[in-house]
Amino acid sequence: MAGSRRVWPVEGDPLRRNPSRAAQPRPAQAGRERVMWYFMRISGLLLVLLALGHMGIMHVLVQLTGQEINFAFVLERWGNPFWRGYDLLLLVLALIHGVNGARIIIADYVERGGLRALLTWTLFGLGLVWMLLGILVILTFDPNGAPAIGPFS
Amino acid sequence: MRFRLPFVGYGVSWAQLAWFGHRASGIGVLIYLFMHIVENATLAFGPEVYDFTQTLFRNLPVRLGEILLMAALVYHSLNGLRVIVMDFWPSTTAWYRPLTWGVIASTVIAMIPLSIIMLTPYAPWGP
Repeated sequence: MAGSRRVWPVEGDPLRRNPSRAAQPRPAQAGRERVMWYFMRISGLLLVLLALGHMGIMHVLVQLTGQEINFAFVLERWGNPFWRGYDLLLLVLALIHGVNGARIIIADYVERGGLRALLTWTLFGLGLVWMLLGILVILTFDPNGAPAIGPFS
Repeated sequence: MRFRLPFVGYGVSWAQLAWFGHRASGIGVLIYLFMHIVENATLAFGPEVYDFTQTLFRNLPVRLGEILLMAALVYHSLNGLRVIVMDFWPSTTAWYRPLTWGVIASTVIAMIPLSIIMLTPYAPWGP
């Protein structure tokens, strides 16, 4: 940064078209791509709080207070509707945010055509199955402690 | 400032690395999320199965991976906030370089205490 001469933004500079140099500038036309462009930023803002909060509690505070994550811990935690709702919201937002990000990366590196479609639809399929599994685990967990109430017991 | 990287045929700037880091950390966190959902699904099999699964995660290599996960999440969050600010207030591109440096520096600084806390149970200075 020697010399504080301001070199940007200037006319024709990519920064003017795509200020943040994010994956893509805001799509010019209204439609699905623009909705997802806004979704990534709004969900991202929420995820900063939700995901960092989750990591801060589960990986830092739990350890600082000398607790251990086990079934009893989950019983207590998911006995509280607030934390169950928190985890559900985190799951849904993070998975959609992550799958859409991966879709954009695939589209950047794989040419339009069969392979891109295959990879994208595989990604969507996996995302959907994992989303259903995650929601099922959170919603069917019985906080009253009767074990093995899962779908396979 | 540009510098040479192995296997890359051109000079790479910090801005390009910041952009690449956003993608790499995002993919890393997504892969972890898929694994995490499977691991949590063992809750449905009752306390014995879940508590056994959790013991698989209590060792140094996994803890190092968790520290890497934390670093990826902190970096992705801070860089994502920078992207949001610059996308909605384009005039802030005047501070593109200091903001990018700030994101990288903040991540490194935040990871110092976080790494120490997370490593403690497996470190020589730990319990």
